[in-house]
Amino acid sequence: MTGPASALRYLWVRSASNRLKSQLKRVRNPRYALAMLVGLLYMYWILIYNPRASSESGVNPFADLLSSNFALPLASALLLFALARWWLFKGDKSALAFSPAEVQFLFSAPISRRGLVHAKLLRSQVAILINIVIWTVLLRGNAASAHGWQRGIALWLVFSTLALHRLGAAIVRANALEHERAGQRRSLVPAVVFVLMLSAVAFGVISQWPAISAATQLGTKAVLNAVVNSLSQPLPSFALWPVRALLRPVFAQNVATWLQVLPFSALVFALHYLWVLRLDASFEEAALEATQTRAELVRNVRTAGGVRKRNTKGKISRVPALSATGRPEIAITWKNIAAAMRGTAWRLQTILFTVMLAVFAVFTSLQSEKLAEVFLGLCAAWGAMLVLIGPAGMRFDLRQDLPRLAILKAYPISGAKIVAAEIAGVTILHSISIWILMVVPITLFVVNPSLFDDKLQLPFILGGIALAIPAINALMFTLHNGAALLFPSWVRLGTERRGFETMGQGLLTMLATSLAAAVALVFPVGLAVLILWLGSTAFGPASILVAAIFGAGLLFAELWPVIFWLGSVFEKTEVTDVGLPQ
Amino acid sequence: MIEVERYNKLYGDFAAVQDLSFVVNPGDVLGLVGPNGAGKTTTLRALAGILQPTSGTIRICGLDLATNAVAAKSRLAFIPDEPQLFDYLTVSEHLQFITRLYSVKDAEARIAPLLEELELTAKKDSLPTELSRGMKQKLAIACGLLHQPDVLLLDEPLTGLDPVGIRRMKETINGRARAGTAIVLSSHLLHLVEELCTRLLVIRKGRAVAFGTLDDIIAMHPHLAGQPLEEVVLALTGDDAPAAL
Repeated sequence: MTGPASALRYLWVRSASNRLKSQLKRVRNPRYALAMLVGLLYMYWILIYNPRASSESGVNPFADLLSSNFALPLASALLLFALARWWLFKGDKSALAFSPAEVQFLFSAPISRRGLVHAKLLRSQVAILINIVIWTVLLRGNAASAHGWQRGIALWLVFSTLALHRLGAAIVRANALEHERAGQRRSLVPAVVFVLMLSAVAFGVISQWPAISAATQLGTKAVLNAVVNSLSQPLPSFALWPVRALLRPVFAQNVATWLQVLPFSALVFALHYLWVLRLDASFEEAALEATQTRAELVRNVRTAGGVRKRNTKGKISRVPALSATGRPEIAITWKNIAAAMRGTAWRLQTILFTVMLAVFAVFTSLQSEKLAEVFLGLCAAWGAMLVLIGPAGMRFDLRQDLPRLAILKAYPISGAKIVAAEIAGVTILHSISIWILMVVPITLFVVNPSLFDDKLQLPFILGGIALAIPAINALMFTLHNGAALLFPSWVRLGTERRGFETMGQGLLTMLATSLAAAVALVFPVGLAVLILWLGSTAFGPASILVAAIFGAGLLFAELWPVIFWLGSVFEKTEVTDVGLPQ
Repeated sequence: MIEVERYNKLYGDFAAVQDLSFVVNPGDVLGLVGPNGAGKTTTLRALAGILQPTSGTIRICGLDLATNAVAAKSRLAFIPDEPQLFDYLTVSEHLQFITRLYSVKDAEARIAPLLEELELTAKKDSLPTELSRGMKQKLAIACGLLHQPDVLLLDEPLTGLDPVGIRRMKETINGRARAGTAIVLSSHLLHLVEELCTRLLVIRKGRAVAFGTLDDIIAMHPHLAGQPLEEVVLALTGDDAPAAL
């Protein structure tokens, strides 16, 4: 093994070993020991016990999904859209980001450009391999099925090809910026190819639109089948071939099929590998920029609390003014709201999303009642997903602020108030994001009231949901913030987004927080159901509002002592606990 | 040695560095001075092979950084102003890593004295999170010196060091220069520059405004005779400064 390759191997092996040792050292603390025990039990349940039980009972929603006839075509189309994003919109420079230490040591070291690309690719394998284990276990147990290791290989090909494609696209795009005309020509070809592929898919859907529209009368499954038919037309089918070839082994139902389709998936992977290796274009500058942007994000998180403060035109985003007097903890809530609004273009996205939802609601309502119902159902499902997944991504709270614990602790505010203020900001913003989805039933009601059986109930149902959402969001954010505060060494701090390689870990985290939330919701939901049952005769639809008020009230009452307890944990937390230098 | 010929660096329409040419011979310590945003760090990063020049050539020990990057980089070390270390490598493991990266032959014989020289022996099994800012800086310096580079690029090398550390660092820089290393040192600490550097390169808005020994520069600007270095640099980089070389 040559010098640089041997050095990189040494770096990764020693870093992983030291990291593990440092994490395990924490287990001496009873809090971490208990968490590790619970975590191991959870992992055993979700990765061993549950799949085994599902396999024996023959019921596994993840595995069953693979054997459905619409999964592969739809997954291919969705993946094509995801890949096209890297070429047609703003390039994803984060794919080129190295850690600041890697820039310092590797960029000025005697390592070739190709060596740096290999280093980047090999490092992504850690996340890929962890995810393969998770997904292989979750997808285990469908029908006759392929073996776990076969699915593992198929998933490795998919994830590794995606990592190669993302890196290759980032290098070509970065090179285009550095070398103007020559570079732009090089990035134009793949962009044109993707436009043609997307056009072919769009052509298939448009040409079959009457059939899809008619299928809306027959339910969701009929719509899915009609869409799949449209994607199976010669032109879209041809355009989707590379993506389908890559994905097909994951969906293989038996060993013979797997063996038959694997070479094509491997071919797509091999072509990607050769392409990235042959690029040999200068990308250090873009990599440095991406690294600096990432470091800046981390630094901002650790110092000023903001992220990307200016929009693409260089204008600073406006945030609501904070009055000079009043409760000090409000300032912390305001700071986090400002960070979210400036860091994610939240306001613009919210306005655009609202308009888009209203337009779609009008469009579907004019097409057919069934289509409008499907759209309403999709929005309701999306709302539920936002409640579950949203708090993991909306991190403008203690997960952002803990790295600057020293500053927070110097503020003349009690720990409980700081924790409450941190949770309040994200709860407000995330609640608004979910309330926006209500524009769909409201628009549908205005355009076509006959869609709703009980018109009198609708305002009460919407009012009840509107009241319940902040309470549920507060619960979810309390769980995430509580985890960050109790286990700062184990929880990812900061607001940086992670790649598709970590989808598996995200899924496990979501399931764990959902389970904890389900336990916390037992009494509030029970109380709400009881009120509905007892009050529906006496108060009619108004009982929905009463049930929501009392249910939300009980949930807040449950959270109150938890926040006080987390406040005392905050006060006892040392700066060294969150990995800050001594 | 370092040879820079007509080095230009553009960021879009913005010229970060323009038409920069200079030579640093073995044993020379070149002080790179200028106000914030003058292009010092961009120049140092280009010399380290981290940034590609828009035009011009940079040679390290006669090796072109553009066409022979790997060989050129094996002869240099770059120590940035902010020490960036691997979170989960100990002090001694950082040095082991460098040993492999640069294929250092007699590493064991070099590591112990280097740790001693930079007062890191007691911390050799510590992770970066357990080190103070100054200790981190010393570790970054140790990593840069381990493979005994022919070219040493230092960006604000004294930041975070205690008085003893500063004295030792000065001795280290002088010692390396005496041993024939070509050194470029960027710093705002002008007394340090005056004490250590054999020649100066003053840059303003990406252009060289003065290059040579302090006596050479004074000879070119006689009205600055007798002024301390601080006044000389302020005069050369202020709004009324003379045109670029």
